[in-house]
Amino acid sequence: MVLRMLWRSFFEGRRRKILAAATVALAATLITTLFALSVDVGDKMAKEMTSYGSNIRVTPKADAMPLLIGGVDYNPLKGRDYLNERDLPKIKDIFWRNNIVGLVPRLALPATAEIDGTALRISVTGTYFDHLLPLPSDEGYRTGVRDINRFWQVEGTWPDDASESQALVGSRLAARLGVVAGGTLRLRTGDGADGPLRTVAIAGILTTGGEEDDGVTVPLAMAQAMAGLPGRIQSIDVSALTVPENDLARKARRGPEALSSEEYDKWYCTAYVGSIAHQIEEVLADTSARPIWQVAAGEGAVITRIQMLLLVVSAAAIAAAAMCVSALMNTTVLERAREIGLMKALGAAPWEIHLLFVGEAVIVGLIGGALGILAGYAVAQGVGWSVFQSGVDVRPITVPVVLAISVITVLAGSILPSRAIAALLPVEVLHGRR
Amino acid sequence: MTVSNQLTSDATSSRFGSTEQGRMVIDIRGLGKRFGAVAALQDVSFDVQRGEFIAIMGPSGSGKTTLLNILSLLDRPTEGDYHLDGIAVASLTEREQTVIRREKIGLVFQQFHLIPYLSALENVMLAQHYHSVADREEALEALEHVGLAQRRDHLPSQLSGGEQQRVCIARALINAPALILADEPTGNLDADNEGLVMGLLERLRDEGRTIVLVTHNPDLGERTDRIVRLQHGRLAS
Repeated sequence: MVLRMLWRSFFEGRRRKILAAATVALAATLITTLFALSVDVGDKMAKEMTSYGSNIRVTPKADAMPLLIGGVDYNPLKGRDYLNERDLPKIKDIFWRNNIVGLVPRLALPATAEIDGTALRISVTGTYFDHLLPLPSDEGYRTGVRDINRFWQVEGTWPDDASESQALVGSRLAARLGVVAGGTLRLRTGDGADGPLRTVAIAGILTTGGEEDDGVTVPLAMAQAMAGLPGRIQSIDVSALTVPENDLARKARRGPEALSSEEYDKWYCTAYVGSIAHQIEEVLADTSARPIWQVAAGEGAVITRIQMLLLVVSAAAIAAAAMCVSALMNTTVLERAREIGLMKALGAAPWEIHLLFVGEAVIVGLIGGALGILAGYAVAQGVGWSVFQSGVDVRPITVPVVLAISVITVLAGSILPSRAIAALLPVEVLHGRR
Repeated sequence: MTVSNQLTSDATSSRFGSTEQGRMVIDIRGLGKRFGAVAALQDVSFDVQRGEFIAIMGPSGSGKTTLLNILSLLDRPTEGDYHLDGIAVASLTEREQTVIRREKIGLVFQQFHLIPYLSALENVMLAQHYHSVADREEALEALEHVGLAQRRDHLPSQLSGGEQQRVCIARALINAPALILADEPTGNLDADNEGLVMGLLERLRDEGRTIVLVTHNPDLGERTDRIVRLQHGRLAS
């Protein structure tokens, strides 16, 4: 009888119930969208943030010990100690190797750019543009600044990593020298005017907004040849997918020895930028891997703030839906006051009357929630493709979570109407007084 | 004795015919009801024997509805005693009064008060459901008793006023109550249906039902066994 009543009464006041279901569906759509994006945003944002540069810099240990006097670094070994290029694959062998999404070695050397009688002292930097790094246990790993520094803009073409004559000229340097892509430039290495001279083809003009705009960037092998340092590099910029910093990660900044054994294990097995840097130091002897905190902290802060924003918006949507459902249910209770009064007069227990109205609310919540999940994922896919250029994963856990939130929302909205039901006296409604 | 024990000991043996003749169904003594400073009822005392069909009459504002609400346990007196079928009901909790009401009272309303989305049969079964267990055959029997078996699947909106009131009476009968309280049952009906409904109530009286009819229609009052008259909240002499 209860189910029959619930079924029949559910179709009473259809417009109001459709409105309530639509309200819940809207909230569920928003929650599903935000939930889907919130779960995915960490990964997607982390990937996105890697396009703004590396977050770990690896240098020889001697370089990492500044000898500062009056703010000037007098370390006599700075720039004189080198890493071995052949050690690069070791970075792809650490515990968090799959989180290493890019690594680029650098070797800088002083040179003089000469053209039409003009000579300028510049820095030539060798790096990987799009290089296949051989890995012992794999087919190889393609990496380079084209992938890591996606904000680098090249007018012209990117040099071939195997080339010994192609170069990118920084945009400010190009303006001073009056050169364009497709032209040539003579580079003299060494300090004097009698150093070896090399003519390079200007593959493109590079704009980064950084110091690269004032120099020349060439394939690493070419820079090594110019410097007479085959197989040597000065630093490695590593781009790693990391999780936002928390108290444990901040404590570890003082050094792993500051952590207890249990904390160390937890820190080591979490993809904090600090723990990944620590693991790189473990595989590369006599090196210093330092997180670039501005980037790492920025990633964490952005992701945390986005997730907080999503949480606040979801909470607001739930509250709005609950209030709307409450208003709609209150109207229903007022309209069906005589029905409620009759049930009480016939001897219905209060819970039996609540069951009818709450049952209707739960059905509305489930219908609204189900529609919201479908719509929410559609919206999330749209947002995913337009913002991150990739879809959003459908997570099965979303279904029970959003349905539960929808039902809880309508139940919260039913609290005031339920009190109205409890307070309703049959004597007031059955004899035409209302 | 608890309410449930009393209910068990008072069990009736026939569904549509009353038993245990000779006992008072209603016994009220010195009943009063005040709404703030206004006395709606004062010192009302009377009784109703089992199988009696009485009318409560009086002009508007005389306290008829207030008395009916107290008799149907939808309201409480502020003074006096009320025994229903031997149970002192005035001092019971709301929950206990609800139990007594569904076990011992059948209500017939002027405005019918049928659930609009349930059929005639389901409206009768609803009273069974709140009382104990819905039984389709018994509910159909009750509808047959009021001559509406063929309209069992019709919604209230598909029934005439007289038919709706007969469904209401079938609903009041279904749990074999000790008392049927009818509040202006013909107030919304035309003359033909009024005659039909009154004939039905008289037939129930003949079957041994105890019926209290509230009306301001003297012609209807004359068709009952006895008239209790109210005037300004008191029994008129």
